[in-house]
Amino acid sequence: MAKKIEQLTADPSLSALRDQLVAAAQAFTDSAQSVGDLLRAMVDDVERAAAEPLEIFPVKHHSPASALHMSQRLRARPPKVIFMEGCEDLTAALKGLEHCKFPVALQAFAPEAPEFPPDWTPLNLVLPLTEFSAEYQAIAFCMEHPETKLVFVDRSADHVFQWSPRDKLPGAEDAETDDGGADADSNSEDEGAEAKDTQNLHGGAVGLRIGAMEPTFGDFLEVLLRNARVSHYSEWWSQYVEGPTLGADYATYRHVLFLVASLLRRVGSRAKDQGENEQRERYMWSRMRQWLREKKVDAKDAIHVCGAIHAVSPIPEFGVNATTEWEVPPRTKTAWLYGVVPSSYAAIEHQFGLPSGEIAIARQTWEKGHKAIGVEPFLIKAPSKHLAPTRPTKKTAATAAATPATTSKKPAPGTTSQGVATIGSVGGSAPSPAPAGPAAGPVAGPAGVRLHDLLMRPPSFVEGDDEQLMGWCVEVVRLARKNGYLSSTADTIAILHTSYLLARLRDRAHPSPYDFREAAITCLEKNRVPGKRNIARICDILLGGDKLGQVGYESLPPLAQDVYDRLAVLGVNLKASQIQRALLDFTARPDQLPASDLLWRLRYLGVPVVPVMGERNLGTKPKQESWDISIGKSQHSLIQLGYEGITVEQVLEKRLKVKAFAQNARTVNALEAAEDSVIYLKSGRLARELGLRAVELLKAEAGGADAPEIFQRVRRLVHYYRTVGLPDWIKEFVATGYQHYSTLLPEAFTDRGVTPQQLAAMLAFIFTQEALAFSVGCQRSQLLISVQQAAPEDAPKRALLWAAQWVLLLKSEDELRQEFTHLLSQPLLLPVFPEYVAGFLLALEFTPRITRLCVELMTRAFSELPEEVLVPWLPKLVVALRPLGPGVMSTLVKEAGLAFPRVAKELSGWQFPWERQAKTAAKPAPGPTAAGGAAVPEPPGGAAAPAPTGPALSPAEASIAAMLRAHPEPLDGIAARLGIDGRWAAAGAVSAGGAAGPTTGDAAQQGAAGEVSQDAASATAGATEDVHETARVLVDHPEAVRALAAWIGVA
Amino acid sequence: MATSTVAATSDDKLRLPAEEKYAEELKYLASVDKGQKPFSWRLSPRMIRTFILGATPADKLDRPIAQKFFGDTSLVERAIVTLASDRGLLLIGDPGTGKSWLAELLAAALCGNSTHVVQGTAGTTEDHIKYSWNVAMVIASGQSHDSLIPSPIMTAMKRGEIGRFEELTRCGSDVQDALISILSEKYVSIPELRTGDNVVFAKPGFSMIATANSRDRGVNDLSTALKRRFNFVTIPIVTNKKSEKEIVLFRTRELMARNQIQLDVPPTLLDILLQTFADLRETAANASNEDQKLESSLSTAEQIGVLEDAILHSRFFGSQELGADTLARSVVGTLVRRVPEDVSIMNKFWHAVVEPGAKKKKDKSWESFTDGGKNALASFK
Repeated sequence: MAKKIEQLTADPSLSALRDQLVAAAQAFTDSAQSVGDLLRAMVDDVERAAAEPLEIFPVKHHSPASALHMSQRLRARPPKVIFMEGCEDLTAALKGLEHCKFPVALQAFAPEAPEFPPDWTPLNLVLPLTEFSAEYQAIAFCMEHPETKLVFVDRSADHVFQWSPRDKLPGAEDAETDDGGADADSNSEDEGAEAKDTQNLHGGAVGLRIGAMEPTFGDFLEVLLRNARVSHYSEWWSQYVEGPTLGADYATYRHVLFLVASLLRRVGSRAKDQGENEQRERYMWSRMRQWLREKKVDAKDAIHVCGAIHAVSPIPEFGVNATTEWEVPPRTKTAWLYGVVPSSYAAIEHQFGLPSGEIAIARQTWEKGHKAIGVEPFLIKAPSKHLAPTRPTKKTAATAAATPATTSKKPAPGTTSQGVATIGSVGGSAPSPAPAGPAAGPVAGPAGVRLHDLLMRPPSFVEGDDEQLMGWCVEVVRLARKNGYLSSTADTIAILHTSYLLARLRDRAHPSPYDFREAAITCLEKNRVPGKRNIARICDILLGGDKLGQVGYESLPPLAQDVYDRLAVLGVNLKASQIQRALLDFTARPDQLPASDLLWRLRYLGVPVVPVMGERNLGTKPKQESWDISIGKSQHSLIQLGYEGITVEQVLEKRLKVKAFAQNARTVNALEAAEDSVIYLKSGRLARELGLRAVELLKAEAGGADAPEIFQRVRRLVHYYRTVGLPDWIKEFVATGYQHYSTLLPEAFTDRGVTPQQLAAMLAFIFTQEALAFSVGCQRSQLLISVQQAAPEDAPKRALLWAAQWVLLLKSEDELRQEFTHLLSQPLLLPVFPEYVAGFLLALEFTPRITRLCVELMTRAFSELPEEVLVPWLPKLVVALRPLGPGVMSTLVKEAGLAFPRVAKELSGWQFPWERQAKTAAKPAPGPTAAGGAAVPEPPGGAAAPAPTGPALSPAEASIAAMLRAHPEPLDGIAARLGIDGRWAAAGAVSAGGAAGPTTGDAAQQGAAGEVSQDAASATAGATEDVHETARVLVDHPEAVRALAAWIGVA
Repeated sequence: MATSTVAATSDDKLRLPAEEKYAEELKYLASVDKGQKPFSWRLSPRMIRTFILGATPADKLDRPIAQKFFGDTSLVERAIVTLASDRGLLLIGDPGTGKSWLAELLAAALCGNSTHVVQGTAGTTEDHIKYSWNVAMVIASGQSHDSLIPSPIMTAMKRGEIGRFEELTRCGSDVQDALISILSEKYVSIPELRTGDNVVFAKPGFSMIATANSRDRGVNDLSTALKRRFNFVTIPIVTNKKSEKEIVLFRTRELMARNQIQLDVPPTLLDILLQTFADLRETAANASNEDQKLESSLSTAEQIGVLEDAILHSRFFGSQELGADTLARSVVGTLVRRVPEDVSIMNKFWHAVVEPGAKKKKDKSWESFTDGGKNALASFK
């Protein structure tokens, strides 16, 4: 059997592959006997696939070799129909490919899918396509030659989801990771390996690819990689299969792919993947037979393009002549939408777990390959250009000229000859057979016949490869320098040298991009990454980097086209992949206003446009705005919107309605939707519809949990509508709210589940919207009854109740004050005082009248509460004050400004405004209130209660006071002269910042300084005679007074 | 994988260097080697790779070659290729990742001598890198080639072999820089000798393998000039359980062979050990500050140490059989280095991770492992 395998892989360039396959087969069988069995089975697989009347074209996804063979095969003998693996319903999206910049992805999208688990929706499926894939070549060919039909035959998008296990998200990675290949991807977390910004382009979509051909069985993969000494399956593939088959003839290509697939299928796949594969194959063969029967096309005129792994299927339904039929299961009722979305190399690599940079390397191989072979690839072109003759690019012509062996650049279709099996080192990974002579073999000739030819080919040496490698070495050093590495020409040489050494070590005639990459890492990467990118990333960029696809204007859904049209007025390039800055000045260019509206709508819908300056609120009139627009880069989000409607406005309306009319929608949601509809759509009709829904929801609402938000929103809306005229729905909402919350009040006051904030918001709603509510027929009596019913137990709610009663004139201000004074008078009630104040502060929201009382209470709290209550309260106070907002705070501060003296001078004659008038209020027990700088001297009228208070002393004054205390004689003398029997206060009063001496002493000081105040004068009014006497004595003996003046710093 | 039955020790050497230990294998490989050999290498690069990573069927050799270094193929290839180029090789990685082992294997395969080693320490001087003098001889007969004591590196240069420098970053930057001229000019001049041959040239085949500890980053950072002359190959900590298992088994067997102990490690216990270390690493990775991390680097070498300790303990003091409690005691004993910091970290780990895990598994070995660890932790005072 091994001989047979040898025959199949007769090409010398394939001997390495043969060793690989046999070794892998041996690793998974236990005896020589079973190895033989396995190999025999593999050969049978190959023969069966090759003998199938319907020609099977095996492919691997994004494989340049597949693409090259495809374009050659189609040229050689155009088929009537191409059956392709790929969701059959995606055919609908094909038309959109005409105007795209690849890579793009065909997309199937279902916004609603009631028959699938709810967390799957929206169902999203993408099939990325690159230019260098066999499927692209086939699609391009069919577009160019309408006589050839292209039919997708694989299970529909619906079946993909139907067949996904329900217990996990479709497309999610398997939890059971296999150790073998898992660690190859872990290096993405390395230092400097920045995430590519387009890798999440596909989002949560399920990714499909045509010709997935990877071992899924971890142990097998591990053995394969270990035997080949490569780090990733892609590298294995490109070294052992891709390179050799690129230049091989069509028959060899087919046989090799069948053979590899057979091994993968027999030992390299998990059982559950097998099951899925078989189901898909049944599907495909049923569809193909059905199509051929219906259209009466001979199987010989058809090609089946599928992953090689499906070509070696053991199912009985395999083949056009199979007798077993299989019933295709029906789809669900899900409505599917189809389109094209942009994709990127990074997104494809990310989606399918490919090593970073693989797609870029594949593109390089492809470009070199088709140039070297001299085959013009098929291109998908816009319809208008169809008739233009396809001209070879200059480079192709040059290559063709340089390789005279290839006589015809483009064999005429219909001939059986082709530019076969030419440059083996294309892609730089195969031992290099030279360009073949013009005498090429038949397309499907047996491999053995051409063995001799292959062996006779002289080793080729492609200068281009060397030059390219040299270029890479120079460029990577330059880029590394730019990224902070200290690299120089010496490194260029070292990298080149190391690449060759690595290639030789790995049996490659010429360094592959992988070798180059590792050489660069070896020579340049040191212990630290100096900049943002490490060498591996730099190499990725150098080898092609990421490429972002774009869907052409013509292929966009109407919504996206509409957006492009309407934003054209901004004059920015919407197709650019960089972020575009748009500056809008509406005074100069009022025509830009609609574009601004559109941008705000797009932003609301999640399209990445970001306002740098400008805002949209109820009633704002924009003057200038600036925006960062990255529509070109994130076209997919716009296309996704296109599935939901024809215009942005329609989608927005739909979304708002969904939000408001959802099963579990709350009043707030509906109200928010109504507000958004006013802001973004300026639509009275929609706002009314949503507003009425809010009214309906409010009626059904049981608690006041959402009251704060509802209150804020309604207040904003009412403010806004007052300027333009109140619509009926807002009136109705307010009336409903008034009645609703009034009814809820007694319950809310007692129910501990309702927080004071929510209660305050309910009261705020009632009181602030009262006027409007009365105008539509509400009665205050309802509220009065409710308030009378209220019997709160919690301190904050009681305070709220008092405030409400005050507003309703059920309580006077004095009564309120009395309540609080009572609290302060009871030592046991003191600790709860802050809670009362906190509740009272909440009332500020609905009645600014209590501001003054608030200031008073706060002041009292600070002056009268003991520290053990006051200090723990302070943080809570900040927390209570913060949510009140700037409006309430400013009135509070303003009121405090009115209450307190503005300049220090006023302090002496100042008294609390409430104390000035509130004679009825009981005076608090006199005590040392001189805590802190707020202490004030008692008014002279209060002489009946002479508190030993004095003005606060500055440090200088305090030192004088201390000196006077140390030498009391002069003052005592003066006092004696004045006839006052002054006594010195206790020393403790000094430290408390109180009087430094007898009050008379103070007066005398002030008099001596020539600043005898009225108070002091009146204090001595009873002793006028004595004063004259004293004055005389002082005039006679000015020394003491002068000394005093010097002490207190008066010149 | 063919298990190695190579004697790791001999009558007069506790630990044989790689070239002696694998002498037979090296001889065999040299005999079948048809590849091109750079300089005076004993083996071609491809054979060196086979020697280090073991033979695969594709190599078509008629005797098994065991894998000796468990790591990424490309890493080994890069190391080999670097030695064939003009630059020195600097293996960098966490402690216990096998840097020195790879250096030894490479040197043994390339030139059959892995013993030209300079150990870098804070006390290493330039003399250790270049040469020094036999003072008595200098006094007696003056400075001459006879009174010169060449450093291991100089010896390697003279013979065209591989010089090794362990823990390069442990010695001072000025001392490190002595390597610059050796790596670029490939000669050492001896100015004290006034005769004509006062320059020692490196023979073809000479190269340097240095190792550096990535935990020491920044202690004595390499100068830019020296960095340029080395290719850095970073050896990662093995996180793949499968390969880690292989490494632990391979090394432990080898170490046990030294004591002529044939004790097989029950697979459950090996799994317990690997799982515990994997959990410990995860805990360390999620620790928010250094105080919550063990001092140990939790490398593969550490696991081997634990297993060896446990086996020896059960062999000489225990019931001849390796038990889960013994293993737990070794884990705790090896990893607790600072009392009480490490004890409290381990205590937390044991109760938060090991015990719940063991309860979930309902396995006897796990239970006894949990208890053993708790007892060991309780013994710290």
